[in-house]
Amino acid sequence: MIAPFLWMVVTSLQAPESLVQFPPQLIPSSPHFSNYGEAFRNMPIGTFFFNSVKISILGTIGEVMAASLAAFAFARMEFRGKRIIFGLLLAAMMIPFQVTMIPVYVIIHSLGWLDNHASLIVPHFFGGAFASGAFGVFLLRQFFESVPKELEDASRIDGASRFRFFATILLPLSKPALAVLSLFVFMGIWNDLLTPVLFLSSEEKMPLTYGLAILSTVQHNFRYDLLMAGTLIAIVPIILCYIFAQRYVTQAFLRTGVKG
Amino acid sequence: MRSRAAYLYLLPILIGLTVFTAGPIVASLGLSFTQFDIGAAPKFIGTQNYSEFLNSALFWQVASNTIYYALLYVPSSIAVSLGLALLVEKRIRGIAFFRTIFFLPVVTSMVAAAIIWSWMYNSDVGLLNYLLSMIGIDGPKWLQNPHSALPAIAIMSIWKNAGYNMMIFLAGLSNIPKDYYEAARLDGSSAWNRFLHITLPMLSPVTFFVLVVTTIGAFQVFEQTFVMTNGGPGVSTLTLSYYIWQTAFRFFNLGGASALGYLFFLLVLAVTALQFLARKKWVFQQ
Repeated sequence: MIAPFLWMVVTSLQAPESLVQFPPQLIPSSPHFSNYGEAFRNMPIGTFFFNSVKISILGTIGEVMAASLAAFAFARMEFRGKRIIFGLLLAAMMIPFQVTMIPVYVIIHSLGWLDNHASLIVPHFFGGAFASGAFGVFLLRQFFESVPKELEDASRIDGASRFRFFATILLPLSKPALAVLSLFVFMGIWNDLLTPVLFLSSEEKMPLTYGLAILSTVQHNFRYDLLMAGTLIAIVPIILCYIFAQRYVTQAFLRTGVKG
Repeated sequence: MRSRAAYLYLLPILIGLTVFTAGPIVASLGLSFTQFDIGAAPKFIGTQNYSEFLNSALFWQVASNTIYYALLYVPSSIAVSLGLALLVEKRIRGIAFFRTIFFLPVVTSMVAAAIIWSWMYNSDVGLLNYLLSMIGIDGPKWLQNPHSALPAIAIMSIWKNAGYNMMIFLAGLSNIPKDYYEAARLDGSSAWNRFLHITLPMLSPVTFFVLVVTTIGAFQVFEQTFVMTNGGPGVSTLTLSYYIWQTAFRFFNLGGASALGYLFFLLVLAVTALQFLARKKWVFQQ
């Protein structure tokens, strides 16, 4: 399972001339750490990286905000159509992107957001262009429900508004759940290829996924050592995030995981 | 009054649901009956898009590629996930490390995975064929051969996604009461029999869920083709998702792509419905 990752690291350290050797060198004779510098100089990895960071952070903020607001309503309020809206939200999660892709593209086009990062960021403030945000609503609703009702009553008696309770008491209490959700959303955006491919066209706007995908298809005289260095740069932040938060991820799986 | 406040909290999600899901579902059905490209007004042409695709050999080739891919991918990926879950289920020291390792490909992007595997699949200097040659097998030209390209994509995708279903199976396994195993062991039942008569039936509701979700995912295969083959060689790895994207954004036929989107949706719904119908036959209900 880990061999492909190791092979990526090995290749990223190979000298260019050993790439075309057969049998392949399993351990580079002298590791070329300079490949990493060269990846940044010869390919726009730095730009791609910056774009990925920008899109992923802003998009995550938006989606987590939208999801927590909605989750609060579902967990703590009674209103007409509650069950129906929740059902629709879950149903939207099942709709394959192939069905909505064309009209969503037309909408982004008519907003004038094609080849603009707004197309990849703003929709997340409404749950995402190809996800209804349902996963986040679902995860947070469960967590919010587990916070004792008395806490809200107490704060209301003290004269705090409902929103104030939400913003200054409930959200800070929900840090673990918010952290897991942020991680999932961040990973989703960071790793996404479809949306950038649909909405972006110029190279300087591309995130790492799209940029690397394009670089990898430029066939002529290609340097896999540099490409592997670039790929490694793209996955290291995500892997670090995951390892850092993995205990919570496992718990989230066990908690929201399917019940038979 | 209470109602109105709640809708305020729901507003962002409701706007998103309308603008990015509900609206487009309807709009795309409308567009599928038109000739349409961005910049020009859609022109109504009735069911022409549908009849054109249904009468084209390419469409049926693409549809059968998609189903072939799902058949290659779904059963083996579920088997691998379950195998991994059973492997790391034991509560022994250091097992968390292996769970992490098996989950790493899941958090990695498909693009990165596809790039790494394209390099390993390289037919001249690739790692895979080198390893195969050590055990005396002359490996195929993985991605350049129309017979091996789709299986190659399936193998890569299994590696990439197995950890996800492994986690779901782990959650399912932890819900099976341990006394069942104790009782069977006292009766002298073998490990294999315990797996066959306790684990599999008790896990079957989870397996059903995994089957449905994994199948839908398999039909949607897109990024792998985008990075590794662009649908080639020939049309051997051209699947519906990629074909829809190509029709819309390479051939600028947005009406046709909408029709394909709906045909795709129908296929997914039909397969999911079949799975639900067959459910009674093998899913164990308590």
